[in-house]
Amino acid sequence: MIKLRIDGNEVEVNAGTPLLKAAQKLNIEIPTLCYYEGIEPYAACRVCMVEVVRGRRRRMVTACNYPATDGIEVFTENERVRRARRLNLEMLLGRCSEVPVIRELAAKYGVEKSRFGYDPKEKCILCGLCVRMCSDIVKANVLSFAYSGPRRKVVTPFEREMATDVCIACGACAHVCPTGAITIEDLSQRRGEVPEMPLGPKTAISIPFQQAVPKVPYIDPDACIKMQTGGCGICAQVCEPEAINYTMQDEVVELDVGQILVATGYQIFEASQMAQYGYGKLDNVLSALEFEKMLNSTGPTGGRVLMKNGKEPRAIGLIHCIGSRDARYHKYCSRVCCMYALKFAHLVKDRTNAEVYQFYIDMRAFGKGYEEFYSRILDEGVNMIRGKAAEVVEATWGNEREGHLLVRCEDTLIGKFREVPVDMVVLCAAIEPNADQDRIGQIFSLSRSPDGFFLERHPKLDPMGTVNDGIYLAGCCQGPKDIPDTVAQAQGAAARILALISKGEVFLDPIRACIDENLCGGCKVCNNLCPYSAITFDDVKKVSIVNETLCKGCGTCVAACPAGAITGSGFTDEQIFAEIEGILADAGNK
Amino acid sequence: MAKLTISELQKLREKLAQERQTREGNARGQIIIHMGTCGIAAGARKVMTALLEAMDKQNVRDVIVNTSGCAGMCSKEPMATVQMAQQAPVKYISLNEEKIVRILNEHVLKGSVVKEYALAMGSERVG
Amino acid sequence: MPYRLHLMVCAGTGCVSNHALELRDALSAELAKRGLGKEIEVVTTGCNGFCGVGPILLVQPDGIFYQKVQVKDVPLLVEEHLVKGRPVKSLMFTPPEAKEPVPKMRDIPFFGKQMLVALRNRGMIDPEKIEDYIARGGYQALAKALTTMTPKQIIEEIKASGLRGRGGGGFPTGIKWETCVHAHSDDGVRYLVCNADEGDPGAFMDRSIIEGDPHSVIEGMVIGAYAIGAHQGYIYVRHEYPLALRRFTIALDQAREYGLLGKDILGTGFDFDIEVHRGAGAFVCGESTALMASIEGRVGEPRAKYIHTVEVGLYNKPTVLNNVETFANVPVIIERGAKWFAAIGTEHSKGTKVFSLAGRVKNTGLVEVPMGLSLRELIFDIGGGIADDGEFKAVQTGGPSGGFIPEDLLDLPVDYEKLYEAGSMMGSGGVVVMDETSCMVDVARFFVDFLQSESCGKCTPCREGIKALHGILSRICDGKGSEADLAMLEELCSVIADTSLCALGGSAPNPVLTSIRYFRSEYEAHIQGKCPAGVCRALITFRINDKCTGCHLCFKACPTSAVLGEPKQMHTIIQEKCIKCGACYDVCKFDAVTKE
Repeated sequence: MIKLRIDGNEVEVNAGTPLLKAAQKLNIEIPTLCYYEGIEPYAACRVCMVEVVRGRRRRMVTACNYPATDGIEVFTENERVRRARRLNLEMLLGRCSEVPVIRELAAKYGVEKSRFGYDPKEKCILCGLCVRMCSDIVKANVLSFAYSGPRRKVVTPFEREMATDVCIACGACAHVCPTGAITIEDLSQRRGEVPEMPLGPKTAISIPFQQAVPKVPYIDPDACIKMQTGGCGICAQVCEPEAINYTMQDEVVELDVGQILVATGYQIFEASQMAQYGYGKLDNVLSALEFEKMLNSTGPTGGRVLMKNGKEPRAIGLIHCIGSRDARYHKYCSRVCCMYALKFAHLVKDRTNAEVYQFYIDMRAFGKGYEEFYSRILDEGVNMIRGKAAEVVEATWGNEREGHLLVRCEDTLIGKFREVPVDMVVLCAAIEPNADQDRIGQIFSLSRSPDGFFLERHPKLDPMGTVNDGIYLAGCCQGPKDIPDTVAQAQGAAARILALISKGEVFLDPIRACIDENLCGGCKVCNNLCPYSAITFDDVKKVSIVNETLCKGCGTCVAACPAGAITGSGFTDEQIFAEIEGILADAGNK
Repeated sequence: MAKLTISELQKLREKLAQERQTREGNARGQIIIHMGTCGIAAGARKVMTALLEAMDKQNVRDVIVNTSGCAGMCSKEPMATVQMAQQAPVKYISLNEEKIVRILNEHVLKGSVVKEYALAMGSERVG
Repeated sequence: MPYRLHLMVCAGTGCVSNHALELRDALSAELAKRGLGKEIEVVTTGCNGFCGVGPILLVQPDGIFYQKVQVKDVPLLVEEHLVKGRPVKSLMFTPPEAKEPVPKMRDIPFFGKQMLVALRNRGMIDPEKIEDYIARGGYQALAKALTTMTPKQIIEEIKASGLRGRGGGGFPTGIKWETCVHAHSDDGVRYLVCNADEGDPGAFMDRSIIEGDPHSVIEGMVIGAYAIGAHQGYIYVRHEYPLALRRFTIALDQAREYGLLGKDILGTGFDFDIEVHRGAGAFVCGESTALMASIEGRVGEPRAKYIHTVEVGLYNKPTVLNNVETFANVPVIIERGAKWFAAIGTEHSKGTKVFSLAGRVKNTGLVEVPMGLSLRELIFDIGGGIADDGEFKAVQTGGPSGGFIPEDLLDLPVDYEKLYEAGSMMGSGGVVVMDETSCMVDVARFFVDFLQSESCGKCTPCREGIKALHGILSRICDGKGSEADLAMLEELCSVIADTSLCALGGSAPNPVLTSIRYFRSEYEAHIQGKCPAGVCRALITFRINDKCTGCHLCFKACPTSAVLGEPKQMHTIIQEKCIKCGACYDVCKFDAVTKE
């Protein structure tokens, strides 16, 4: 540690600490333009200059990178310093005359108007933060300086307008730019591509959603610059508890458990499959989940309902049963759409003056209080149109030439074909089984009903159990359901699991298969046949073994064993034949 | 060229420097062959060549050989003036190849004027 | 057969562009024709410095100096001088003050007053032959240093000699080397770099040394490397110096072949090699950090350095950077001793300095003089005074960012501190002389314009400040200046000097400040609408007075038909049409066109 004096106050810092940091310790503010925490100081703007006195030598230095040494005296606001800052800011103001940051800082030093020029358009002060960010931190090396002297400027490679082949669109340059000279523009539309995130990009670090458990930020490895190029690493630099770990990998954890509750959920039907509704092609045709995100007060629009152009819509159409109750996609009803569509209508009415049109096949307000909510929505003046919408097309509306939508449908209540003009359409897409439902089913030996969801043991008597003891179902993996139903099913399953745990032991039916090791030829035919995965192969003895806990005694393996090595315990062939004979003993007599 | 060592560098330097002595203007003396039209007609060219060859043979490198115009005594050509450092110049007359070599050996290298061939000591006054 | 005569043909860039190589070939051909090829040697040498009168031919051992020798002069020259021994007067140089030509080189004042240390082999060797260099004692200092001295002794010797950086900064070389040795390097790697990125317009000291005596630089570098313990060196040469590059590369190859460079130098076990790095010609790359960035392959821009490059330099290793002339001095100091060197010069400025004399001076060229010589001696004795017998006005030392020194300071000795006190600097040795035809405001504007375009543009004061200076100076030259502009200039200058990142910006205000300090009246005249030197177009008016004979020449010369008049009658100029090009003024034989 060394001691120095700044503006008369003594401070103790590590040798080599930049004066800027040393001054911060004393709460002395030194203005900077080209300095940014985490990026190597550049000392180009010359606004942070201070006077350093060491012995008889007085000199002007930049506080951002001048290393503190023992016994020096620093002046951050004396006349020489003020004059240097005043003139440098006046020069910058002459270059970038209308940039608020420069104007404010210059005004602080008494400069309202520059004597050295006036340029209202120029915004770049050539501080080089974007260039250093791009090359040193992000390591994308897109931005650099070109030309020298007064002609110097920041350019993309070969000064091409779109450096999209090298720019990774991280936005870091725009973020560090002190004057707002860099803006990020989504060029995908100009290039005729569908933007992947209609509701705006998210950062590489985010809390996935508001209800996430645990509610901590997560780094998207595909978007993280550090993981992609090895650059950046700013989050680790600024994270005081040092919680950032870039090397953390997905882990496979093996747990020994006795019972399993399968609650793998569902996925949303991809609405772009139904081209007639224009999802993915037309602006302002949103999926229900996107609309939900928009309505979220911590979402990208802060809960405001906005079209892509940033204006509030004048009318919104909510189309039910996208992919549900449709023989071409899913025959079943998704069960939740009617009610969340009503909720949307309510929130839209609450937050905007927009007209709301509901295009429904029929309302399924089956739960407790649902019908009452439906009546209330009707009272709020939501337009209910009974009839499935046929298509959504772009249209003009009044004097405005484009950008509006027309929902075409048949109103079955009045028996007429209708075209309803709206600004925004929300598609209530179906709940469908996960794409990997089949794979999960194989892992747990679960059957699937014709709709693709997992099959429960009995629809009425055991809606949460499966044919496999100890494996239970909850939620939408078993079939579409709303939150109360899901909670009820899950709690039921949990109760079943707990019951078994508290009992401490498992009662098994006495019927099971038994392999005679002396007869088993090790052909493994039975291994794959067993519907309960109860048969495994012993590599040492070269025979198949039955797990007696898993075996249900169905007899499939008994019938299939080519060596006749498997018998059902208590049900040997002889016993069965004897039973049959016993049953049939009197038959001849009758 | 093999790489040099310190002593080889020293030797090389001495050899090269000796070869280049006249370029520097360092010399123990100067022989001026009079090369006016009369001198050339009387055989000054041959005298010059003989002198240079003799110097080469004996590895004499610190003697400047120069030419001058007619000295005005055309009947005594070929002529030469030998000027040793800090000494008065000596003019030799009616030279031939053998004579100039003897002058080189006796006067220039050993310091004794070859009186038989000499015209006079000292140069004519100018002005 | 030994050569009895040596014809030293100057082949510096100046003479080469005046057809010195054709002259050399013509000489060789003529000698061969006359059968003199074996007794007369033709040697191509480096620059002699007297570039204004090239091509130069020196006949040794006679010491006869011929100037402006053309191919057509060759037969006469060979016949008269080489065959008949009658030096050709018509090709000799006549100093401005003398009536008769001066035959001998050493009698010409331009050469006579010089003292050659860095340029010790100038004109005497063929730069492409290492043998010539060795013959004149080359590499003896290296042998001495490697065998009889420790690195520490070498550094002490350089320190005692008082040698200071010849590139502009004037930092004591010995102390720089010592700091480098003491600087911490993890793996012990240290670098030695020679700065040959000479960018001052009209200055060519370093080029001349490399072209004329490349081995002296190599020898100095090897000695330096041994002193600091470096095994890799770089030389940063401008790409615009093709001849220097070629000769240096040849010299490197020869030195390697002789075992004077590379592994196991002179059998002593010391390894050192030099890599040539070509610069793309940015003026700012002469600055140490920018130069190193450029060698590393990064953009040649200065970086802020409060830790010196001698501690953290090239590839973040301790690095010694000296310029060409500094290294060329080193072997002499080692060979002749620090005492000998320190006896030359002034109290704080030791040895000699090479200057390039340019501008309105009679003898332009390259000269090496002992430190402490007065500017007056430099300009009037060596330079021969003002060209066309004009009147001295100012001299700028130290390149484009040097200051102007007026006549009353002409007795100022050439010395780092004295020049600095006068508002100028030693720089790398450019000397530009100005006479009464130069307008000091215009000249200041010219140099500021140069510096503006050569600034890298990194830091605000240098980029925006110099641009602002240029704007104000242009305004004054256009006659639109005011008193406030002068104050603004001074304010700007002091802040630019105070806050710029590197020395380019730090010294850029010198031309402006000194021109205001010593020639304030010229600025005031401009503000009042007059350009005393008649240079600033906006402020001059051409008129025709009654001396006009009606010769009609000006009428023909005028590109805008602004001159009216019939032949044999007095002409007049229509001011509205006049673009002030001065064509009429130049063609008039009767002083009838006046400029005011």
